[in-house]
Amino acid sequence: MIVMRAMDKTMTCAEFQDVLPELFEARSDLSGHEHLKSCENCAALVRDLEYIASQARLLLPIHDPSPAVWDNIQQAIRQDKPEPPGTAARK
Amino acid sequence: MAGPTQPRPANQHMRRNPPIAGEQEAIDRAREGDGRAFETLYAMHKRRVYSLCLRMLGNVAEAEDLTQEAFLQLYRKIGTFRGDSAFSTWLHRLAVNVVLMHLRRKGLPQISLEEALEPAQDDGPRKDIGARDLTLSGSIDRVTLERAIENLPPGYRLVFVLHDVEGYEHNEIAEMLDCSTGNSKSQLHKARMKLRDLLRKGQRKEQIA
Repeated sequence: MIVMRAMDKTMTCAEFQDVLPELFEARSDLSGHEHLKSCENCAALVRDLEYIASQARLLLPIHDPSPAVWDNIQQAIRQDKPEPPGTAARK
Repeated sequence: MAGPTQPRPANQHMRRNPPIAGEQEAIDRAREGDGRAFETLYAMHKRRVYSLCLRMLGNVAEAEDLTQEAFLQLYRKIGTFRGDSAFSTWLHRLAVNVVLMHLRRKGLPQISLEEALEPAQDDGPRKDIGARDLTLSGSIDRVTLERAIENLPPGYRLVFVLHDVEGYEHNEIAEMLDCSTGNSKSQLHKARMKLRDLLRKGQRKEQIA
């Protein structure tokens, strides 16, 4: 229903933006949408939001924790158990 | 706290979780209590877990504390890993749960209450799109986007990071955040709109400078 209404070329910018989340979720190809053919502002908005989502998918894990994190983990494990795993293996 | 549920297989998750050489052997040995194998798992996954924590929290000290907590939980629960999903997917979900538990303990309003997921009114979508001379396409570098994500309101940041960066589906996010799927979708859209605003403002500042 929402998508059908979204194809109405008489819709206003506000109406288009109200249904935009559903259009994105439906993974619709919005390039041929009637409203966008006549509204450069909404077309720019759609391009930007698609671009932001696509760039976010490309973000990689780039941050390393400080060495103190592993030191604390080891210490906590030692406190958890009197004989930490691997101790025997290292002896 | 129960162990992480096995996430629904999704293409994005699969793409983000390729098999790691030596991982299975390290898992098997760590389950038997081999400390060096556990250290190997830490080395393999610390960056991804920490990056997730940092992006969700926007705070280095908290992110390090919760990375530590996530790996301690891994140490205690690795015996419950059944292999229904990729190990990294399972660990990742465990880390998400740790962060969400932390946020609930802090009493931050973005968890549990759907109304509280709604940031201030002026953060919502704008009907006035503004100047048409600025478009973002092709202009965002990774550092700029990371910084903009850091500046999102916490409720927006959570949903954006979980969906757009980490690849969770809305039904999974709704379950994690104890909100409706519709609310998750709405928050995501508002987060993207807010990011667009932040990025455009950054562009304008650069042009003025």
